[in-house]
Amino acid sequence: MIKLRGIRKSFGRQEVLQGIDLTVEKGEVVAILGPSGSGKTTLLRCINYLEKPSDGTIHISDFTLDCKHAGKKEVHALRQRSAMVFQQYNLFNHKTALENVIEGLIVVKKVSKDEARKRGIQLLEKVGLGAKLDAYPSQLSGGQQQRVGIARALALEPEVILFDEPTSALDPELVGEVLAVIRRIAKEGITMIIVTHEMAFAQDVANHVVFMDGGVIVEEGPPAELFSNPKEERTKQFLKRYTPEFSYSI
Amino acid sequence: MKLDPSFIWTAFVKLLSAIPVTLEITFVSVLCGLVIGSITALARIYRIPVLAQLSSGYVTFIRGTPMLTHLLLIYFSLPMLVDGLSSQFGLGWSSARIPMIAFALVSFSITAGAYMSEVVRSGLLAVDRGQMEAALSVGMSTPQALRRIVFPQAFAASLPNLSNSLIGMLHGSTLAFTVSVVDLNAKAQIVASTNWKFFEAYVAAALIFWGLTLLIERATSFIERKINVYNRGGVA
Amino acid sequence: MEYGFDFAYVFKYVPKLLSTLDLTLLIVAGAIATGLIIGLLVALPRLYHVPVLKQLSMVYVSFFRGTPVLIQLFLFYYGLPEILKLVYIDVTRVPVLYFVIFTLGLNAGAFISETIRAAVTAVNRGQVEAAYAVGMTGYQAFTRIILPQALAIAVPVFSNLVIAMLKETSLAFTLGVMEMTGKAQSLGALSQHFLETYISLAIIYLIISLLLERVLLLAERRLQRHMRREQEKRSWFGLRRVPPLNRLTRELNLEKKEVPSYEA
Repeated sequence: MIKLRGIRKSFGRQEVLQGIDLTVEKGEVVAILGPSGSGKTTLLRCINYLEKPSDGTIHISDFTLDCKHAGKKEVHALRQRSAMVFQQYNLFNHKTALENVIEGLIVVKKVSKDEARKRGIQLLEKVGLGAKLDAYPSQLSGGQQQRVGIARALALEPEVILFDEPTSALDPELVGEVLAVIRRIAKEGITMIIVTHEMAFAQDVANHVVFMDGGVIVEEGPPAELFSNPKEERTKQFLKRYTPEFSYSI
Repeated sequence: MKLDPSFIWTAFVKLLSAIPVTLEITFVSVLCGLVIGSITALARIYRIPVLAQLSSGYVTFIRGTPMLTHLLLIYFSLPMLVDGLSSQFGLGWSSARIPMIAFALVSFSITAGAYMSEVVRSGLLAVDRGQMEAALSVGMSTPQALRRIVFPQAFAASLPNLSNSLIGMLHGSTLAFTVSVVDLNAKAQIVASTNWKFFEAYVAAALIFWGLTLLIERATSFIERKINVYNRGGVA
Repeated sequence: MEYGFDFAYVFKYVPKLLSTLDLTLLIVAGAIATGLIIGLLVALPRLYHVPVLKQLSMVYVSFFRGTPVLIQLFLFYYGLPEILKLVYIDVTRVPVLYFVIFTLGLNAGAFISETIRAAVTAVNRGQVEAAYAVGMTGYQAFTRIILPQALAIAVPVFSNLVIAMLKETSLAFTLGVMEMTGKAQSLGALSQHFLETYISLAIIYLIISLLLERVLLLAERRLQRHMRREQEKRSWFGLRRVPPLNRLTRELNLEKKEVPSYEA
């Protein structure tokens, strides 16, 4: 279970997160929606401590981190419990697909090389890249790179995988293959938090949808409810603006 | 021998008179080099037969050998060339009449030409092929496209390299003392030889070169800011 | 100055000049090794923003990049003994060769520190984030992710520096070191066949430059395996050095001209 309590973050004088409380049950898939600048990506990066929150606590399964008194060790322990899939993939440029996947296993989890390779190959096959083990990122398409990124996150067997707009840097025709992979692993019961603009995908895959705006959570609930019957005015407007096709598809 | 800080100032003042010579050598060789470099770079980009190969050979040779050897080679071959031509055609020239600074100017221009050739070439190649195609598509001729579209962008792209080369030639001009041209470096030697305060004299010379270099860098970044307006912003 | 140009001398002098090649290469190797150590030490305070040290290293780099090597050589040759005398160290009997190596090393250090800095900065910020996200410590992220990529970026610039250094060794003769150029001058004075001597001198420098370039290119290929796709085809003589430099400057978008390319 993941519990965020009172997460705050400011950039200069601007407070981007104004006290976020969020609970994610084990095995749950949470989609975070919201207009750009709403703080959703910042929130995600705070969970992995790529941004340092100015206040609040982060709790992942057995570990609690108080952001006011976080030392290097605590941050490291927190990061070991989560994994991240980046918008720009951020694959290690100088390592092959397989090396990217097993790097964390060998260096951080101290798994033996042979064992790590075995698992790496399995995972790459799972995301449909069994034939690209030795390709460097520069030789892969964006969709392929992102699938390696997902395999890299899975390899660590984290408590939660954080997806930061995993498809928004992709060409439209490549979005489908990445979403398919995410959908498949969602069914395996891995806890996931996904920041996304793909409304249909969020509705389809998520058990729980969170709508953020202006650094606060405006509304949250099961997707069926939030999409078809939003209570808050801001949510209604956002859904109308961002998913014009949505109202017709029902 | 004791350090004499006050002599640094004395030497500094005396050295100022040699700055024009250093600047003359620098700018003449860079400008001539720019002409040579542009011709050889275009020859290579457009793969003009013979000329392209000659240009490549020239650039490789010059860049593979020290500037000092260029100067020495010119110093000993130019008189032979002049005297040879003179006796062949009865021109009445004499190598003894060649001023010393001419050796430095000729040799450094040849050196600069090779480096400039690379600067110009990489600048032109930095401009996206699509720019040329777009220019042709709106009906420009190739020379028009080069002049109005490609060159301005290439200049912006190669400005850092240009400034580096200018600084390289400024520093390289110190070699002129080997053919008895009185530039800053030689002047420092002369100033020091009267009282053996070499260290102080070279401190002064170093300060002047440092100042000139910073000046070139400042000027470059100023120009860069002026012409790079179209480049600003965009990718985060 | 009437003397017959005799091409036979060119060949005759090549082996004689080659006998001093070891000294030239010793200067190159010594200066580059010194430069690597100094360069790393000088780059660190600027990468980690250490106050005072950072300003000092900026002045150091600016000075050595802002003054001619020849002036630096004279400056240290005449100045270092006097400065060391103030702290009662007598270096008047230290061979000139070491002054030359030390000064050229200081000079190379300035350029190398800029290269290191530029290369480290050029590694995408996302790479570090990904390393952290995978759970690496700061040290692991630096040694396993940033450093290998920075090296690959730095190698072309570095190979430029090595070749520039080879050419700069020719200045050592001004202080009386009998390396190749010095040797050529005395040979020329002896026979009065200066032009032939200098032609063979130039040929030797050219061949060594090309060989060095070739060797360093192999190292570069090896380190840049992962960039294979974007690498354009390169010719034997490799007029390749300016484009990567240029690309670096543009990608870095640092204040200005952070990438060294001294050429003389």
